Amino acid sequence: MKPAPFAYERPRDLDAALSMLAASNGSAKIIAGGQSLGPMLNLRLVQPELIIDISGLTELKRADVSGGELVLGALVTHADIEDGRTADVTRGAMRAVAANIAYRAVRNRGTIGGSLSHADPAADWISALAALGARMTLRSCAGARTMTIEAFVVGALESALQAGEIVESIHVPTRSASAHWGYAKSCRKTGEFAHAIGAVLIDPAAATARVVIGAIDTAPIVLTDAAGLFGGRIAADYKERFDAGIADAVLAKAGIDDVVQRHIHVGVLKRAVQEAAA
Amino acid sequence: MTTIALNVNKQAVELSAEPRTCLADFVRDKLDLTGTHLGCEHGVCGACTVLLDGVPVRSCITYAVACEGADITTIEGLDEDEVTTELRAAFTREHALQCGYCTPGMLVSARDLVLRLPDADERRIRVGLSGNLCRCTGYVGIVRAVQSVIEARRARSIAPLTNGGRTGLGPAGSGRAAADRSEPQPARQSPVPARESIAPGSIADFTPATVLDQGFTLAHPPAKVFAMFDDVAGIAACLPGVSLTSPPRPERVEGLIRVRLGPIAASFEGAARVERDPATLSGRIVGIGTDQRSHSATQGEIRYCLLPLEGGAATAVELSIGYTLTGTLAQVGRPGLVRDLARRLVADFAANLDRHMSGVPSGPKTSAELSVWSIVSDVLRARIARVLGRRSGAG
Repeated sequence: MKPAPFAYERPRDLDAALSMLAASNGSAKIIAGGQSLGPMLNLRLVQPELIIDISGLTELKRADVSGGELVLGALVTHADIEDGRTADVTRGAMRAVAANIAYRAVRNRGTIGGSLSHADPAADWISALAALGARMTLRSCAGARTMTIEAFVVGALESALQAGEIVESIHVPTRSASAHWGYAKSCRKTGEFAHAIGAVLIDPAAATARVVIGAIDTAPIVLTDAAGLFGGRIAADYKERFDAGIADAVLAKAGIDDVVQRHIHVGVLKRAVQEAAA
Repeated sequence: MTTIALNVNKQAVELSAEPRTCLADFVRDKLDLTGTHLGCEHGVCGACTVLLDGVPVRSCITYAVACEGADITTIEGLDEDEVTTELRAAFTREHALQCGYCTPGMLVSARDLVLRLPDADERRIRVGLSGNLCRCTGYVGIVRAVQSVIEARRARSIAPLTNGGRTGLGPAGSGRAAADRSEPQPARQSPVPARESIAPGSIADFTPATVLDQGFTLAHPPAKVFAMFDDVAGIAACLPGVSLTSPPRPERVEGLIRVRLGPIAASFEGAARVERDPATLSGRIVGIGTDQRSHSATQGEIRYCLLPLEGGAATAVELSIGYTLTGTLAQVGRPGLVRDLARRLVADFAANLDRHMSGVPSGPKTSAELSVWSIVSDVLRARIARVLGRRSGAG
């Protein structure tokens, strides 16, 4: 349970980190809090020649509200969000998600950017932030680009990150005063990776709904216009109008053949809807 | 190998280690701080939980090199911590451990809950401890212990930690490396400052973890014995394993005590102060010492009181020996063995004292280390005596 030997660099700034990453030709791995990479290194599932530790880079520790959105540096930890050390534009939604990620000792080091980069389908942020309509900025020596969370997550542990690119920041839009939020997950043991995730952002006043069905062993199902799950329109009575049969069909179409699995996912999604309506 | 400089239990440490060395292996293998336990080694079981810049982290998936400049507190560093002290008492009371493997990590996590969540109910405590696995207790005693400490502190209106105990953003322990480390510094292999010099007057009173009462009699009048007790050098010569390193003064006696218990040997170097009260023919010696080899430290106190026997012709010396041991040697959780060791040391001391006062030169064994063989033969002799006694009782 010890990692294979690796070289270690602690770049002094983001540019230095990007240069090291570019020069490594794919033999290097970025580490921040190491709460996903650490176990994989220890299990020798990953054996990089070089570890580039970005955990000290102050450029990636920002949390500012500007232009109606919260910009979080990639190094902001789950505990930073849980404790409210970062501004909250989601009216408690992100704090509640953060507070239920793994365990406190993990949240004290695990970062939002690291969790997204790892792109584990069972992790919380890829589902929660997709439902909240967040975007992220990726940076390499060549420059920066911005994309939605749903575009970023390509598959299980597969992201849109290209060689030489790292997650720089996450942009979370302000949750409107009329938008309801619901988030539910099923874990066989508290704190472990979820077996099903449901995340909903429903605004009856604006008649809009974003729904995410996550932890399905691949990129989450993100329904940016989810009216179809609620009888075709979003109104104040959306809880009663939630159609489990449609949700089941969506899952079946996404390739989930196991009826029991679909049942769990639908049940968890229903809980998220109920929480939003509560 | 990389040179890693960080602070462990408030001591600056600079050691070389491979980048792949996790923080748990670093403190265990290089600093002998083996209270940090490794269970799963991939972040699930929580046995390795330590404090990094004041907050709990997994030391099995945190690499030591990533903690450059940071403050690490292991379970050994929480000996004097107020909350941990309360938790230890509660864990004992509620039978919150059996084998103890999970306990160091459990205490670190429980301490964090106590500090952050003053309103936690049983459910929140269970969720809060879900990252620390225990395979002995079924958690009932652990949850009760933590709950009782939270409730006791709530009753005392102690406010929770603000901001979760953190000020900046980012991973705990990150960003503490010196901004520009010009070139790699030469590796130094001295984990503990070469010699913790004990400042004069710093021999503080303490509450001993263990107190042993012993006594012996001397065929000399109390006044003579009390005068003898004022001769620090003479007394030191009678104490098995003790040697002085500088001329003694009552307020400061510097010396060395060699102790051996079976294969365990320690040499505590330190200082003591001596107090006496002629009115009551009593006194005490308070001392502190460290054993460099095992990174162990001890505080000790000997209280004595002299009572006249046989109309003042002889003296009963009543001793109360108190001590607290920390570090590797504190893991010898066998107070019975230590009590037995103390009993034999005191018997030797009494015999030496008697010879010294009677003007008989000390025998060769007097200031020798106690060997395992003498313990074995003593035990055998005691057993034979018991068997013979039983026989004679039966017959």
